[in-house]
Amino acid sequence: MNDLAHGVAVETEPPLEPVVDKAKILLVDDEPKSLFALQELLSTLGQNLMVAQSGEEALRLALRNDFAVILLDVRMPGIDGFETARLIRSRDRSKSTPIIFLTAAADEMTSMFRGYEVGAVDYLMKPVVPEVLKSKVAVFVELFRKTERLRESEDKLRRLAAHLISIREEERAHIAREIHDELGQVLTGLKMEVTWLAKRLKDKPLIEKTDSMCALIDSSVQTVRKIATGLRPEMLDDMGLVAAVGWQAKEFQKRTGIRCRAKLPSESKFDIDISTTMFRIFQEILTNVARHARATRVDIDLALAEDHVSLEVVDNGVGIQDDELHAKKSLGLLGMQERALLFGGDVRITGSPGHGTRVSVTIPLRKSK
Amino acid sequence: MKVLIADDHPVVRQGLRQMLAVEQDLTVVGEARNGQEVVELSRRVPWEVAVLDYNMPGKNGLELIKELRQRYPGRAVLVLSMYPEDRYAVRALKAGAAGYLTKESAPEELVSAIRKVAGGGRYVTPTLGEKLALELEDNRGKPLHETLSDREYQVMWMIASGKTVRQIADELFLSPNTVSTHRTRILRKMNMKSNAELMHYAIAHHLVD
Repeated sequence: MNDLAHGVAVETEPPLEPVVDKAKILLVDDEPKSLFALQELLSTLGQNLMVAQSGEEALRLALRNDFAVILLDVRMPGIDGFETARLIRSRDRSKSTPIIFLTAAADEMTSMFRGYEVGAVDYLMKPVVPEVLKSKVAVFVELFRKTERLRESEDKLRRLAAHLISIREEERAHIAREIHDELGQVLTGLKMEVTWLAKRLKDKPLIEKTDSMCALIDSSVQTVRKIATGLRPEMLDDMGLVAAVGWQAKEFQKRTGIRCRAKLPSESKFDIDISTTMFRIFQEILTNVARHARATRVDIDLALAEDHVSLEVVDNGVGIQDDELHAKKSLGLLGMQERALLFGGDVRITGSPGHGTRVSVTIPLRKSK
Repeated sequence: MKVLIADDHPVVRQGLRQMLAVEQDLTVVGEARNGQEVVELSRRVPWEVAVLDYNMPGKNGLELIKELRQRYPGRAVLVLSMYPEDRYAVRALKAGAAGYLTKESAPEELVSAIRKVAGGGRYVTPTLGEKLALELEDNRGKPLHETLSDREYQVMWMIASGKTVRQIADELFLSPNTVSTHRTRILRKMNMKSNAELMHYAIAHHLVD
């Protein structure tokens, strides 16, 4: 170990203790003496030790803290260790907190089984062997830390993904606007100039030239429009989600020959971020249908309720398989889920071979300011 | 006729001005760069026809049309938009616009549209007129393509997109025989004789691009 401290490991992590919060360990025993002994024994681990002298006290503490591990005496007056463990485990927050039971050697095997039933991960006979206890607790502390770190990095990834999604959306909107408004209008102006010129020309070949120039400008305008709408459909901002979904469904049918039936609520505008999220998920669903489903029909049902907006898309294609759903590669599906999750929403995909795929999306609506 | 031009792009305003300058009976009496300016200008200048860009900064196009209609029911608003008709024209007309033109329209068309709406009429392009007529017709009876099954619709779409029987068979994992059977049934249901007829129908009904 010393080698590491003195060696080349300059670029590795800084010493753990100052940066990482101490892990909390709960010690529960009705005997003050035993508690004291446990504290003494575990103090060398350098973690945050909390103590309780009864099951009730332990429960109170478990309500407010996340423990790396709980050491629990089995025999206590009032709520005994087993009952305490059961109650602790029944709460969501502490349902997977590791519990080590401590019991006098006289206890029988049957109580041991009871202990495992209520969620013990280990069982130690009193008097405990200090080294054994210490190393076991240390393992749980380490596990706790890793879990924490994992949660943190998951959280970071999620925030990063959210950030990227919103940046991409902003950028697309910006580019679409620039292309459509600036370039499009310049082309319009250009066409007017050419027409003006054409009116003054008498020479037939020259007029033919200006005609073909006009035709070129027209097709450029159409291209500009197509690019801009592809980046971000202006109707989403202008007229809201309902109109945009209806339009997209028609476009899809026109582009793929797959019949689309859309059931839409009456048009109304609401939160643009949620509208965008829903719309992008919808597009992704359609892309998947076109790519994988081999469907001839898609039924779309968009519904607006007071507190949420929901979308259901059902196709009559080959049906997604469970293993495809869970495949690591299905980033598109993951992307839909992440997008919905950003707004507390949910995407559910079910499919059965030969009976098509159903995608249901629900996103709660934020209360209007 | 007194015309107001509203567009946030100088090039477009300039083009319009030039275009209208040659017409003896039309006078540009004001120019606005956004919805707010249109509203302000309207209080001072008694224009008869406003040529309005649908998408100006600030006020949303539909709202602006509605507001102008409400305040000056005697004046006509003609929308000149970058957006294709099929998306916005009907909405604009419903909001009270007297006409809807895309910026690709020929200058002559714009000028005749201005004259028409100034007289209290409405101006609808032939394409939009056809579309509205089709919608009316479709509302009366089921359009022919709605009589097709989903699969037949898909095959019809592929034929209309110019695909051969073999290509369709490959793409749909069907035998060429099955595709041919579909085709025969489609033609019978739609009362047609050839692929060309199908194509024409599909284009007219905007079933293909």
